[in-house]
Amino acid sequence: MKKVLAMVLIVALMGVFLTACSEQKTEQTQSQSEKKDPSEPSEIAEKVEEAKVANEEIQPSYLDDTSPITLDWYINFSWFPTKWGGDATSEYITEKTGVSINYIVPAGNEAEKINSMIAGDTLPDLITLGWWESQVDAMIQGDLVYALDELAEEYDPYFFQVANSGRINWYTKDDGHVYGYPNASYSPEDYEKYELTSNQTFLVRKDMYEAIGSPDMRTPEGFLQALRDVKAMFPEVNGQPLIPIGFHDFNDEGCSSLEEYLQNFLAIQQEDENGNLVDRTKDPEYIEWLKVFRQANEEGLIAVDVFIDSRPQMEEKIAQGRYFSMLYQRSDLTAQNNIRFQEDPDTVYIAVDGPANDRLDQPLLDGDGIAGWTLTLISKNCKDPERAIKFMSYMMSEEGQLDLFMGPEGVTWENINGKPTWKPEVKETLDTDRNTFDNLYGASYTYWMLMDNPMSKQWESEPVEPFAQLYNWTKGKAVNKSQYSDLTLEPGSKLAIEEGKINSEWGETLPQLIMAETEEEFDQIWTEFMSYREEHSWEEIFDYQQQKLDDNKKRLGIN
Amino acid sequence: MTNTNILKKIKVQRTLLLMVLPGVLWMIIFNYLPMYGIIIAFKEFKIYQSMFEAPWVGFYHFIEFFKDEDFFLVMKNTLGMSFLKLLIGFPLPIAFAVLLNELKLSRFKKNIQTISYLPHFLSWVVLGGIMITWTSEAGLVNEVLLGIGIIQKPIAFLGDPKYFWGIAIASDIWKEIGWNAIIYLAAIAAIDVSMYEAAVIDGANRFQKIKYITLPSIAPTIAMLFILAVSGVLNSNFDQVFVLNNPLNSNASEVLDLYVYRTGIRAARYSYATAIGLFKSVVAFALLFTANKVTRRLTGNSLF
Repeated sequence: MKKVLAMVLIVALMGVFLTACSEQKTEQTQSQSEKKDPSEPSEIAEKVEEAKVANEEIQPSYLDDTSPITLDWYINFSWFPTKWGGDATSEYITEKTGVSINYIVPAGNEAEKINSMIAGDTLPDLITLGWWESQVDAMIQGDLVYALDELAEEYDPYFFQVANSGRINWYTKDDGHVYGYPNASYSPEDYEKYELTSNQTFLVRKDMYEAIGSPDMRTPEGFLQALRDVKAMFPEVNGQPLIPIGFHDFNDEGCSSLEEYLQNFLAIQQEDENGNLVDRTKDPEYIEWLKVFRQANEEGLIAVDVFIDSRPQMEEKIAQGRYFSMLYQRSDLTAQNNIRFQEDPDTVYIAVDGPANDRLDQPLLDGDGIAGWTLTLISKNCKDPERAIKFMSYMMSEEGQLDLFMGPEGVTWENINGKPTWKPEVKETLDTDRNTFDNLYGASYTYWMLMDNPMSKQWESEPVEPFAQLYNWTKGKAVNKSQYSDLTLEPGSKLAIEEGKINSEWGETLPQLIMAETEEEFDQIWTEFMSYREEHSWEEIFDYQQQKLDDNKKRLGIN
Repeated sequence: MTNTNILKKIKVQRTLLLMVLPGVLWMIIFNYLPMYGIIIAFKEFKIYQSMFEAPWVGFYHFIEFFKDEDFFLVMKNTLGMSFLKLLIGFPLPIAFAVLLNELKLSRFKKNIQTISYLPHFLSWVVLGGIMITWTSEAGLVNEVLLGIGIIQKPIAFLGDPKYFWGIAIASDIWKEIGWNAIIYLAAIAAIDVSMYEAAVIDGANRFQKIKYITLPSIAPTIAMLFILAVSGVLNSNFDQVFVLNNPLNSNASEVLDLYVYRTGIRAARYSYATAIGLFKSVVAFALLFTANKVTRRLTGNSLF
């Protein structure tokens, strides 16, 4: 017993001793001296431009070496189910380039998986993750990933030929290097060329909406009345209670449908005319609409399920047609809406005008911007960085994009009058059964890691129902918000931790607001949250974001 | 004991010692060596650096944790649920084992036992899914309660913090009661039958047999398991809470383990998570000692 106590004492003393010799405070210092002027295009972007102007006939670099190799590729999305191989496209690409891919996908929480890979220095050859993830900076700061421009310089001049200078410029870091290449990105020239579309929609079930007389749901009164009417008319769907309105899943940081989506539908600007960032959460019309949802809940028009269900339960309910309306991402119900369409075309979800502000302005939905969706990086653990960068260049090139989007010629498409055209049976499968299409053909960006949407427009065929209506509805309502992307705080910094606390407090507050029994209770919860935010460095966070916004605008050449 | 004595003893017991060796090595490698990682609790560790590069920050992370506004909520939930589990969940398997032992029909007894410990083999992911379905508004529980007229309209049990502890404790007992009873059944089986025979001759009835023979005979086992259970009060059943928790009930379901997972592991604040883990270990260590001491005073039985 005494011995044990002595041991404990020693350990405790050691702790004190070790603490005593460390008065270092951990402060994050940015190397201001090396920071480049954001209004100047980066050197690499200039290099890309020069390569384009020179227009030399460089042969695709993947042809240098087509011996078989398998690259491990981590995808930071637990829902990504696809394996490489077994379908026409991936087999064709492997045959052509020699590269096979072993996808690694987290089984549970993404952050947990990638954090432990970073901490354990076990990152695989390639990594794809959302550009907003804090791990991007962590990997760069930890020197765990290659600078793509340096790799290209050394092995692959073709990279500069196929890269897009706008995207390269956006992703050039302060040290003058580019570490990742985005997908689904639209550069400034692209959004001048193409009409922007958005993924954000307000959806209703067509037959029910028409049955209650296609009401105007833009005003609070019209919105609530429509929910009341539909609940009275269709209390049940196939024996189960109707869910009058659905949202994205509520998680521990809130619910995007009742934040971004709602604010965009209310056309709340993100900055004022002087270029100052707007605190959209404080907008009176936004608060008013949150109160409309509170009212809806009080009247029993919001099912408790919407607060509890996660994606799999929601997808099942969408496929069953149990929601009347939803503030939801149209691309996330493609498969389910197709099931509805096959069952009965009248029961599909269609996009209609949703909540709007008092002036009934058009919504300002998020259009595709420069930041795109994911970033793909090459880790320093890569067994063959030369092959990796060459394979990346191939995928970024027009040749690679055609392969990824259309699949192998003769198998999935034919050249008709100089335009690649789907074979009828392939097109049929694509429009009706995406799963089978992926398994058989693997085209149309089943492998989306480096998809270049503006480029593939040239091969796209017109969308068909039930997707076309949703797609077309967003036209004219989508705006480019590139400058507002990447306002993220430095990961691990004090402010980022404070922001994390605010976010998780919001995650708890939002359902409480909607479920508040009276408007007074709502106001009280709201005031409490606002003061919580103030106490947790909200102002400093806001200032930091303002500074990032100013940099972003310079980078994009906006005023 | 002198040195030569020890050497002699080692020589005599060399085969036995050799048999113990793999186990000792395993423990050193997997339980003791990783302990050096504790130092990051006193450092500002960034996931892309090595442990040694990280600067020392002393008790910063501990203080941060005690200062955190969620600290009291998390402790309240963890301790509250653990004590209730201890209070209700600990005696129940004992009672269950004793009652099971009284059953005379051996086939019936076997069946009951099998059914009762079956849920133990299902993971919380599966059981949690079942619980979510059962307790939902259109679920089994609501249908039964509506059917017998206890409630007038369905309740979303998992959407209301006030039901969470009850659900967590009840489902935990349901899952583990049969399994936990096994060890007591084994202890009961080891009781000398002649004692019961003697008691019967002295005119003891069933309850007297339980009171004067069964319970005193398994008291050492009970004491031992109790000490171990007490040291675990800061462990909340992570899997269970993780599956059953949602934003609506988080006021009652945010427990220490979940907090560590969210703020530490998921947000990559490993130093912070380690500090909380270390804090837990110290508390568990203190509780183990206290419980051991108290039990020895009271019953004369103890772990060490």
